[in-house]
Amino acid sequence: MSSERAAPCPPAGRPVSVRAVEDSDALLAARLAAGDEFALAEVFDRFAADVYRAALVVLRNDAAAQDIVQEVFVELWRHPDRYDPALGTFPAYLIVIARRRAVDVVRSEVRRLVRQDLSCRTAAAESSPSPSEEVIAAHVADSVRAAVRLLPDGQRRIVELAYFGGLTYKEAAEVAGIPEGTAKSRVRLALAKLEEILDASLLESS
Amino acid sequence: MTGEAHGQALPAGLRERVLSASLRARAAGRPEPAPPEISPAEAFSRTADAFHVTLGLLNGGQWAAPALRGLDVQGLVGHLIGVEEDVHRCLTGDPEVAVASHVASTQPAANRQAGRPPALTRAEWRRAADHTIDLVRTADLRAEVAVHGMRLPLGLLLIIRAFEVWVHENDIREAAALPPSAPEASTLSLMTSAAASLLPLAAIRADLNDSVRVHLVLTGPGGGTWDIAVGQSMSAPADVTIVADAVGFCRLAANRVTAADLDPYVTGDQDRAAAVLAAATTLALD
Repeated sequence: MSSERAAPCPPAGRPVSVRAVEDSDALLAARLAAGDEFALAEVFDRFAADVYRAALVVLRNDAAAQDIVQEVFVELWRHPDRYDPALGTFPAYLIVIARRRAVDVVRSEVRRLVRQDLSCRTAAAESSPSPSEEVIAAHVADSVRAAVRLLPDGQRRIVELAYFGGLTYKEAAEVAGIPEGTAKSRVRLALAKLEEILDASLLESS
Repeated sequence: MTGEAHGQALPAGLRERVLSASLRARAAGRPEPAPPEISPAEAFSRTADAFHVTLGLLNGGQWAAPALRGLDVQGLVGHLIGVEEDVHRCLTGDPEVAVASHVASTQPAANRQAGRPPALTRAEWRRAADHTIDLVRTADLRAEVAVHGMRLPLGLLLIIRAFEVWVHENDIREAAALPPSAPEASTLSLMTSAAASLLPLAAIRADLNDSVRVHLVLTGPGGGTWDIAVGQSMSAPADVTIVADAVGFCRLAANRVTAADLDPYVTGDQDRAAAVLAAATTLALD
């Protein structure tokens, strides 16, 4: 838009050669940052199946995996600058986010189940879970039982009595022959350990 | 390529659902991160400051270096002083400047710099730019003004002024063997928006008859995405996507680089994309 030029360019209107450069992750990222919705569709078409599969492996539920796919792509579109092509490929980046989100869902479900159990083991659930929540919960319950087997003996015993045996802490403490305070303390330690084990196993399985 | 290529078909409707949700979260075309919005007057002021700093870097030999159109660096600064003087005349109601030639009208200001101490030229340019800033401080930026054969809103004129000052700053940098500069993102954002909005005009100037729907993506800070219809043909328009660096595209619009130099990423009709890019160079002032 400015004026004079020492080295002349081709006259206006005459076609000049256009060199199409190779597509790349860096170019896709730059296009996303520029607000190019075509780039978003391209990224989806190329990588959404991988993202969906990564979420499904962890969650084992179609609806929940679809939610993860949506979260991943909305986040990518809102914050494209969080992806650094120098640190890895686009699919690797998206799959890592999908796994983390899926693990977060499972972790949240673990906490919900534990909270529910701690607060009212004998009462009905506060609200009825949706079918997809039930599927995840069943998956989580299996994972939790497997994880419990890895706990130290003292912790495993009290968790089995309190959780799978349906006993109160006081009753579980009496059966185990330990003070109620010790029983509660062991449960807290066991829950922390369970979260660690579950995180590791979920990441491994994904 | 679809998800099925990976052996895992995506659930029906997921693509539409995800793309819709994404575009609700952030509108198409908007860069992210978006630079802070500034007024055209502020863009001109910032560009003038950057130009003044560059002039302060020059030694005596660099002021005398050949720059452009037979002008040395000092003469080129004189040209810009002349442009500001014509803008002042425009803003104070002088109708003659509406049809004045961008080059011929400013030549006396360029000529009078010959033999002067460069510091005086630099100071004169600073005063001229500051006077422009003073004149527009309380002006309605939507008001139409006319200068050098252009009739346009004052805000757009200020963006074009910023554009020209930046382009000539880089002419001077090149003449003085200094590295090129780029406008900061907020200013560049106004420049790229202006260049994109003027692309249909460029197509008319370039006698580009074929109708083209251009999906223009300018990357980097100050970039963005625009969908622009150019050409006047009644035939079915061709769709092209042009992806280029934002600063590079501005250099193209200033006729400082060719499309080949720009190295854009193009999809769609390659010939029409080339024609559109060639047309963009007609936005350069004479």
